[in-house]
Order: sequence, then structure tokens, then C-alpha cells
Amino acid sequence: MDTLLRRLRHELFASKVDGLITLVLLGLIGAGGAGFLRWALGQAQWAVVRANSTLFALGRYPIEQQWRLWLLTALLAVATGITWGMLRSHPRPDRVGVLWPRNDRIAAVLLALLALGLPLALGLSGAVQLRWWGITALLLLWRWLAGRFGPGLPPLLKRLLPLGLPLLYLLGMVLIHGGLGLSPVSSSEWGGLMLTLLEASFAILLCFPLGVLLALGRRSELPLLRWGSVLYIEFIRGAPLITLLFLGQNMLGFLLPGGMAPERVWRAAWVLTLFAAAYLAEAVRSGLAAVPRGQLEAARSLGMSLPQAFASVVLPQALRVALPSMVGQFISLLQDTTLLSLIGLMELLGTARTVMANPAFLGRNAEVYFTLAVLFWCCCAALGLGSRALERRLDPAALARSG
Amino acid sequence: MSPTSSRSPAPTTGSGDLMIEARGVEKWYPNGFHALRGCDLTVQRGEVVVIMGPSGSGKSTFIRTFNALEDFQKGSITVDGIALTNDLRQIDAIRREVGMVFQQFNLFPHLTVLDNLCLAPVLVRKRPKAEVKEQAMALLRRVGIAEQASKFPGQLSGGQQQRVAIARALCMEPRILLFDEPTSALDPEMVREVLDVMLSLAAEHITMVVVTHEVKFARQVASRVVLMAEGEVVEVADPETFFTNPSQERSRRFLDQIL
Repeated sequence: MDTLLRRLRHELFASKVDGLITLVLLGLIGAGGAGFLRWALGQAQWAVVRANSTLFALGRYPIEQQWRLWLLTALLAVATGITWGMLRSHPRPDRVGVLWPRNDRIAAVLLALLALGLPLALGLSGAVQLRWWGITALLLLWRWLAGRFGPGLPPLLKRLLPLGLPLLYLLGMVLIHGGLGLSPVSSSEWGGLMLTLLEASFAILLCFPLGVLLALGRRSELPLLRWGSVLYIEFIRGAPLITLLFLGQNMLGFLLPGGMAPERVWRAAWVLTLFAAAYLAEAVRSGLAAVPRGQLEAARSLGMSLPQAFASVVLPQALRVALPSMVGQFISLLQDTTLLSLIGLMELLGTARTVMANPAFLGRNAEVYFTLAVLFWCCCAALGLGSRALERRLDPAALARSG
Repeated sequence: MSPTSSRSPAPTTGSGDLMIEARGVEKWYPNGFHALRGCDLTVQRGEVVVIMGPSGSGKSTFIRTFNALEDFQKGSITVDGIALTNDLRQIDAIRREVGMVFQQFNLFPHLTVLDNLCLAPVLVRKRPKAEVKEQAMALLRRVGIAEQASKFPGQLSGGQQQRVAIARALCMEPRILLFDEPTSALDPEMVREVLDVMLSLAAEHITMVVVTHEVKFARQVASRVVLMAEGEVVEVADPETFFTNPSQERSRRFLDQIL
């Protein structure tokens, strides 16, 4: 306690000016915090969120089909738990140290508190609360299992494990969309956080390979490929996303033969993908530029073909360098999905606007927007945390230190 | 300018004795710089040919044409019976047989030492991983760093990294090894350990072409020494003659500067 006091004093009140700045900042933070709490606990009427929580989560997805989304959420929880456990455990089975590093313990406790508190605060029914508890328990259980037994799995299985994510994605599509015996749910009934995450994840998954190809095309020795890539990247980067979205809604119908034009939801997802790919290509290009020329020469001098050299030597290094800026792109892509409300999709912001237009909740804008901000913040924070874990995982120096 | 007699101790095995034959190689860089001006060189099986010369004389450019890391505009190069053309399959075939050790090591930083060695034999020669691993460990023992096999290149000293680079080239079982100033980027106290490995390779009659400034190394193991200046091969001689009684005025001036 004594050392803590001394450290605080050293860091916050080292000199008179430091002390003054500290006091002023403390005052501002205190006033802001008090104001916020007064609003959040006093004036704000959270009934608007409580009453519309299903709408915010799923849009107008038919009630009798919602079990499919619960199943999907449970599967996602399992996948998240496994990914978390695998990323945070040491790759070598003989060096598995702490099963739960300090940050992971904090995250697990926060998650458990959230799962206990949030459904209660939202006034959800007992059955729904129970489901959330189950899903959280599932996540933590698989986090533990993956951390405990993951490193000991055969290497081949470990390498194949990431392939489960695209498979899960396809399965999720079937669950949401219907088909294979499930009754179809029209995409006009999708909405809320589910639609936001669907659009963002679709774009993130597909813009990644596209962006890498564009970046490689931009460095190609074939003039047509090079100029084609440059033209595409510069055109997309020169146009605001919103104009491209309107363009996509209006033009795809004309460009593609009758009946081929995808539904609105998918048109928007493709525009997002093509848009993000151009930005991602620039991030990958900077990563490629950071790999010394000698790497390619060494690979080639060992007899590797150009594709082999890129796949096993150049790209792994380039993508590791580009990872932070790529994740930055993904995060802004997630936030850009709010623009979809302007072309009439009922994603989070679109749903929020219909709720606020309801006379019963007139004037409750602040509560709704605040909820939206928190939801987006949670998603972006998860992306950021995942990327940092991945970054550490891919950095040989950091691995060596922790070993 | 004809090569003087070599004292190659290599066992002769008939017609395949000529490992590298370069005739009248000329290279211009895209900016118009005339880097190689009609260079000739032949390397016999088992020979150690050391190329010396002032910086900017085209030594590195010349040996980099042998495995097509640099292209050339005129002349011909034949490596182990395969003519170097623009045919990509031929280039890949030559690169499989020609190992190269770089000044800057160029190890793959994202792979462990062991994986640096195993990558190409598994990918290119399609050999089973277990077998390659065993061979790689033997090579690492031979260059004296087997205990570092699971470390990453960034954790090793410069001398250790260069020894790994030599082992990596050897793991492809090349017929010729090219060294492009292998000790120039090393701290002085690490030069010895790398040269020792190269000496042991020379003792096994592995065909080597070495660009270096190490006079002692050249004297000890070179079958022939080549002096290059301003993009030309000025003199080819056995080391004794080259270092004590060179025939060219240009060689004398160069030796005055480095000895």
C-alpha cells in the first residue's frame, strides 16, 4: 500500500505543474462521470432498449425460427472459445505455462459478470436468461479445453482447425437463410446486430483474399494485370462508400442478366467487399514492401517457384507486418456497415431509426444511440483483442521470450 | 587472359567435369550502366574458384548470373550441362543444383533454424519431411549449431546465422555452391567460424565459386583466383602466382591496396 501511494505520487504529482494538470484532469473526469451517471441512472429511460432488445439483436426474424439463431450463437461461442484457447496457449506442448494468463482471467470474469447481469438488466424472461448463461458457460468451457488440450493435438489437426471457421460460416448461412430442410427466411426479415455482423463478416472474409490478389497484381510484371489493379484500387479509393452503395443498388440490376442480380442484402455485402478489398490491398502492399528483396532471392536460389516463394516466404512475413493496419481496416469496415441503413437495410442503425420513429419511444434517442455505441465498441474491442493475440502468436521474437 | 592450369584435386569422372562455362557475358543495367563487359570463366568439378576485385567491379553481379538472379544481354552461360536461357523451367532446374550463400544471410526470419533448412527440400524436391529433418540435423551438427535448431534466426549471432545459411544451401544437395561475400557483413571475431566451415567444404571437393576479400582463405583453398575490375575478368591464376607474381598491372595495383 505504501509503495502504491509512493508510485501514484511519483507519477501524478512529480512536480507542481504535473500536480496541477492531474487535479484539473481529475476534476474534468469526475464532473463528466458524475454527469453521465446522473443521466444513465436518473433521467434515462431504458425501457426503450428493454422492450426492443430482440429487435436490436435479430430484426424481424420470425419467432418460431429463432431457435436456429440460438444454435448458431452456441456454435459461435464454441468456436470463439476454441480460438481464444488456441491463440493464448503456447504452441509447444512441453511449454504450456499458465492456462489462464492474468488478462484472460480478467476477460473471463468480465464475460461471466456480463452474462449474469445483462440479461437481468434487460429484464429478459427466465428461459432466455438461462440460455445466455449456458452459452457463456459453453464459451468458457471450450476456452479451458482448448487451452488445456489444444497444444497437445497432432500438428496436422492443429493446421486444419482454422478451416473450421469458413465451414462454420457456411453452416451459419444455412441456419440464417434456411434450406437443406429448414424453411427459408427471406433476407428482408433479417436485421439488427445479426445483419450488421453478417454483412461485416462476409466482407471481411472475402475482401482478404481479394485484397492480397490485388496487392500482388499491383506488383506484377504483367502490365495489364498491374495497371488493372492500380486502376481498380485508385478508382475505389477515390469514391465515397455511400455513392458506391447507391451505385450497387441501382446498377447491378442493369448490369447482370434478369434475375441474376442478388438480393439487396447481398448486393450491399458485395459492394462492401469490393470497397474494403481496395483498402486492404494497400495495407498488404505496405507489408510486401517491408520484406527485404533478399528473402525472395534466397527462396528462388533454393529452387522454389515464384508461387512457392510467395506462399511460404514472402506473404507470411508481409501479412504479419500488415496485420495491424488490416485489422484497422476491418474495424472501420464494421463501422461502415451503418451506412447500409441509408440504402434501406435494417442493420443496427436502421433498426434503431425505426425504433426511434415509434411514437411510444419519442425522445429516447440518447438511450438508443448509447446502446448502439456500446454494441459497436464491444465488437471492435473483440476484433482488436483477437488481432493482438494473433500478432503475438505470429511474432517469433515474442514467442521466444515467452518460451 | 586464358585460365592458367588449375591444380584441382577433384576426382575426374569423364565428360561431366565442366560445371560452369561462361563465355563473353555482357550485362547492362536498365539505367545503361555496363556492369559486365565480356566475362569468361570456366569452373571444373571440385574446384574452388575465388573471385576478388575492388567494389563495383561486377564480381557479385557475375556470380549472380550463374543462377539467374541477374539476367545478361550477351554471351552464354552453361551450368552443369544446362544452358541458361529465358526458359523458366531451365532456370528452376539450374537453381535446384546451384546453392547460394548471401552476404546478408537472408535466412527466413519467420521459420525456425530447422524449418529454414527443411522448407526447400520438402517443397521443391518433394522429399518426405522426416527424412529431410534427419539430414538437416546432421548438417546443423556439421556446422556446429545443432543445439540451436528450434531457435529463430533473429536469436542467433551473425556467424551462426551464416553457418545456418550454408547448411540451408547444402540441404538441397547442390552440385555447386556460390558464395557472395559470405563474411563481409560479419563482426571480425565471427569471420573465422564461417571460413572454417567453408574450408571443410573445400576439403570435400565441393565445387565452389567464392566472392571474397579473405586473402588467407584464397591462398589456403583456391584452385584458381580470378581478379575482376570494371566489369572485366582481368586475370585468372593459381593463388601462388596471383599473390606473389601477378601478370597484370591492374592485379598488382589491387594487391598493393589490400595486402
